[in-house]
Amino acid sequence: MNQIVDSLQYIKPEISAAIFLVVIVIVDLVMGKNKKYLSPIMIIGLLVTGFFIIDQFKFSSFAFMSENNKYGLLSIDSFGSFFKLLIVFSSIIIVFFTISSDEIKKAKERLGEYYTLIWGMILGMFFMIIAADLIVIYLAIELLSLSSYVLAGITKDTLRNSEASLKYVIYGGVSSGIMLFGISILYGITGTTNIYEINGLLQSQQIQGLIVTLSAILIFAGIGFKISVAPFHFWTPDVYEGAPITITAYLSVASKAAGFALLFRFTKITFIDSINADGSWNIISLIDWRSFLIIISILTMTLGNFAALWQNNMKRLLAYSSIAHAGYLLLGLIAFSNEGMMAVMIYFVIYAIMNLGAFFVVMLIANKIGSEELDDYKGLGKTAPVLTVSLGIFMISLIGLPPTAGFIGKLYLFLALINSNMILIAFIALLNTVVSVYYYVRVLKYLFIDSSEKEIAPFGVTIPNLILLLILVIPTLILGVYFTPLVEFAKYSITLLGF
Amino acid sequence: MTVYDIIFYLFALITVGSAFFVVTLRNIVYSAFFLLFTLFGVAGLFVLLSADFIAVVQLVIYVGAILVLLLFGVMLTHNITQVQIKTGTLQIIPSAIAVLILAFSLIKIFLNTNWKTVPLTVQSSSVEGLGVLLLNQYSVVFELIGILLLIALIGAASMARR
Repeated sequence: MNQIVDSLQYIKPEISAAIFLVVIVIVDLVMGKNKKYLSPIMIIGLLVTGFFIIDQFKFSSFAFMSENNKYGLLSIDSFGSFFKLLIVFSSIIIVFFTISSDEIKKAKERLGEYYTLIWGMILGMFFMIIAADLIVIYLAIELLSLSSYVLAGITKDTLRNSEASLKYVIYGGVSSGIMLFGISILYGITGTTNIYEINGLLQSQQIQGLIVTLSAILIFAGIGFKISVAPFHFWTPDVYEGAPITITAYLSVASKAAGFALLFRFTKITFIDSINADGSWNIISLIDWRSFLIIISILTMTLGNFAALWQNNMKRLLAYSSIAHAGYLLLGLIAFSNEGMMAVMIYFVIYAIMNLGAFFVVMLIANKIGSEELDDYKGLGKTAPVLTVSLGIFMISLIGLPPTAGFIGKLYLFLALINSNMILIAFIALLNTVVSVYYYVRVLKYLFIDSSEKEIAPFGVTIPNLILLLILVIPTLILGVYFTPLVEFAKYSITLLGF
Repeated sequence: MTVYDIIFYLFALITVGSAFFVVTLRNIVYSAFFLLFTLFGVAGLFVLLSADFIAVVQLVIYVGAILVLLLFGVMLTHNITQVQIKTGTLQIIPSAIAVLILAFSLIKIFLNTNWKTVPLTVQSSSVEGLGVLLLNQYSVVFELIGILLLIALIGAASMARR
């Protein structure tokens, strides 16, 4: 009993998220048609949650211990706090997106449910990040999935919106079923659901490698669905295109961050034997996890980049670009070193900023011209200079060219790979980046070189939107030249409980 | 082969066999009725594992509530009983090969695995132990399920509203 009360101090951010979930429901109920207080409450809730997360960086311990008091259901460490902070940051940005999104304004009476479900997603992601037990992992993924299925179809007035939601449900249901099957196999051979205990058993006992590989691949299907790597990526383009653009941006950043944090914790805790002095990980000999991840990663980035070449819809293009980025991010895991983990953390901060920025500009343009098709983007460089120049900066950063932040992210990833003697993989990734230049630059060509057949009146940006845009553009540029604080922060938060 | 094994295979056959009819039959009412036998077979398997509470819950919630709701939904929906569900098969040869390979390798791996086994002990009831675990060691999981259900409720209400 004492043990449960003691553990409560470790899950303050989760408690705060749950409380604000209920507050939003109650306020929505009491205020009726008046929706103007919901967004401020959202911001306050996120700031409070963020404060608790910053307060948590000092912790490194288990919460909710099991009977033998050795391991717990949740592991609280600075690695988890780092990703939780990233999620809170992107949630705040998404709330501001929501305020200025025309799509959501049309479905204003649903704003209460919309924010409630966003809290549901946040809570699911928080538990995904800190989970140290297969039961919690599965439940957290389900919580995140359920909320995002509904959110993908929240506006419901367009056909493609319902289609996105339905496709997401079907693919999501299948992948979580596969994952549950994998979890049951892992439980069947080890007799425990705690990943720390599983690690100990895998190291000591006579367990066949084949069955461990099978269950690991099946569990990867569930996580891979969340981070949209090939061959679990089929839902991504359709859902990203059909969902409201705020949700698309949120899925591409926050839900991916949670998935990667879970993948890192699961891999590092379950399949690692020991860690060398130079920070590289020794993987247990039962399972060839590295080769599997290499195949997945190369498949993902190649498929994402080549499929993006033919896209004419901005949302679909960014969807395939996010698939390709999932492939790059897997490279950090393949390095199997603390350096690779740090590189992914750095890359994720940068990826969040530039991807949210790109979606924000696409949303603002869609608010004005009512389209996300590239053909309608012709000549916008003259009519909306502020927006298009920002979009250009985000595109260049997504390619990974200096002096933008994207370059620093890719640099650290490739360095980590090369330091683990994986030069061939780094070379393939580099070739992929070269391919990606084509479709990102193609957007710029439509914006600045082609001229439009029909006349569009010049349009600017309102002041609040301009401030938000600058909040995203300025870091994209500054982190490209002055990135020491980010690297120091990632270094500081690298502690993952257990090793 | 003991009596235990025979009962196990019987229930497994009921589960898998009726699950096959659920997905192949064209009439949605027949499918719903075969689902009844699938869920019933699963409840039988739970009993064999001496998980009495879960077996009862399976019967009450799935066989009792969910299936009845499903049938009501079918009956109250206009003309849905006459709708011919499209059961066309696409790419039958590649998918058959893939399924056979998957099934063969799964069976092969499962047969060659040292599963962790515990000797079967007949307990009087599992309810007490379940309750103690859920409210002590797994209290946070219990709360998480509560939030999951709240989200499911809100999501369902939001989807049903026009």
